Amino acid sequence: MTTQLSEDRTGLAHPLIAVPSHDELAEQLFVRDLKLYVMQQIEPVQGQIAAQEAKALQGSESNSTGALRERMARHESFGSWLALKRESQRQLWHGVARSVERQAEDLEALARIENPKGSVRIDPSFVEPAYIARGDIHLMPGGNAHDDGSLLQGAVMDRGGAVYMLGRNGGMLNDLRGQTTMAHVLTRFPDFNPARILDMGCGIGTSTVPAAQCFPQAEVHGIDVGASMLRYAHARAEHLGAAVHFSQQSAERTDFEDASFDLVFSCVMFHETSQAATMAIIEETRRLLRPGGLAVHLEVPLLHNNSDPWVELSGELEAQFNNEPNWRGALTADYRALFEAAGFKDVNIGYQATSPAARSGPFRFGPESEGVFRSWFVASGVA
Amino acid sequence: MSRQPLPRTPKRLDAIDGARPMDEQLLAMIVGLTSEVTILRARLDAAERLLEESGALAPGAIDGYEPDAAAVAAREAVRLATIDKVFRPMREAALADLAATTSAGDAA
Repeated sequence: MTTQLSEDRTGLAHPLIAVPSHDELAEQLFVRDLKLYVMQQIEPVQGQIAAQEAKALQGSESNSTGALRERMARHESFGSWLALKRESQRQLWHGVARSVERQAEDLEALARIENPKGSVRIDPSFVEPAYIARGDIHLMPGGNAHDDGSLLQGAVMDRGGAVYMLGRNGGMLNDLRGQTTMAHVLTRFPDFNPARILDMGCGIGTSTVPAAQCFPQAEVHGIDVGASMLRYAHARAEHLGAAVHFSQQSAERTDFEDASFDLVFSCVMFHETSQAATMAIIEETRRLLRPGGLAVHLEVPLLHNNSDPWVELSGELEAQFNNEPNWRGALTADYRALFEAAGFKDVNIGYQATSPAARSGPFRFGPESEGVFRSWFVASGVA
Repeated sequence: MSRQPLPRTPKRLDAIDGARPMDEQLLAMIVGLTSEVTILRARLDAAERLLEESGALAPGAIDGYEPDAAAVAAREAVRLATIDKVFRPMREAALADLAATTSAGDAA
């Protein structure tokens, strides 16, 4: 199904990614295939049960997601499906953490970069936002803000992210979202030439590096809440030849000056925050952009669909059991209104075709989704 | 250097609708065991292929292997011990039921 998450360990995307041993790779491939099995062989059956249950609910006053959930919970297979899905996710992190710990010394040695092109700035007094502290996002133990003074949590997120995405999101580079965001910039303004770029909620820099590659003359910054992730992001970017300045900050309020960026973007960040934070982040984006600067925020393509109660319910379950703090909020937000309220003009809301390499397109943007992983939801506006 | 182990238990695991904690624990153990079985099989497969490549094992030798009487007996003993080990709780439960039935019969 994918060549990049296969048994071929020679095709490494970058040297810093944790390399599994023979047994660890077998373990990770098992998790990948178990997740696929749950997704393709069990989940659709639950969907069919839900369709029958929804039919039974039609016309009744209790025709809601809550009522459907109550009826689904009467089926024992509903609970066992949820339990298996969650366990597959827990096994993913468990196996990856063990593999990362085994090679901790090698990874730390690789991360000691002499004469780096970029930098990393950690804030010892940083307090993680409540929506990060409340539950570990994607069930990654310790959470996004975990900091033990090392870069190991970043290594876990990198390898785990590639397995989690089943290799469909740019394989080991996991960079399709960043490439697609830059392709959106070039779709709107083919000659855009930003001097300063900011990636908000950059994680381990999977989307920041594509920005630096697309605009090699620009000064590129990335911010996130996790110190371990940022240390890793810095070393990873250096190994990939990208000059990026990482700093530990909340996207709701940064220490950058007003009107100091030409492009501010984020990739799948809003659904890991809160509704209040989303508003604050859009306002902060506006503050940071110089007049004429561009804001691009990319989100998951499964936008809210009231017409299908199973889509609604499975989204709610994913949010609850995989710890996605603002899933519903991010998927139901009126981004045009939020952008315009923050002072943006020429606001575009729609779907950008997935790009494997920003400069080679496709430069296709429209109101309809082309499907999950084939396009991404994008909201953009001019300051 | 002294390094802290990475955490293994995520914060916030909501109770699943209609599922008993013990069901979840059993399921998690089965997933873990299945994972181990796939790892073992991958390792055995690697060993067979490497042995064949080195010439130590003729292709098809394992599938064509006929154990002699001593090997048959040894393998049977291992198989029976495994069955006894894995299904012991069910036998114990049946024996407990039997004991209860018998003592109930005695009382009557």
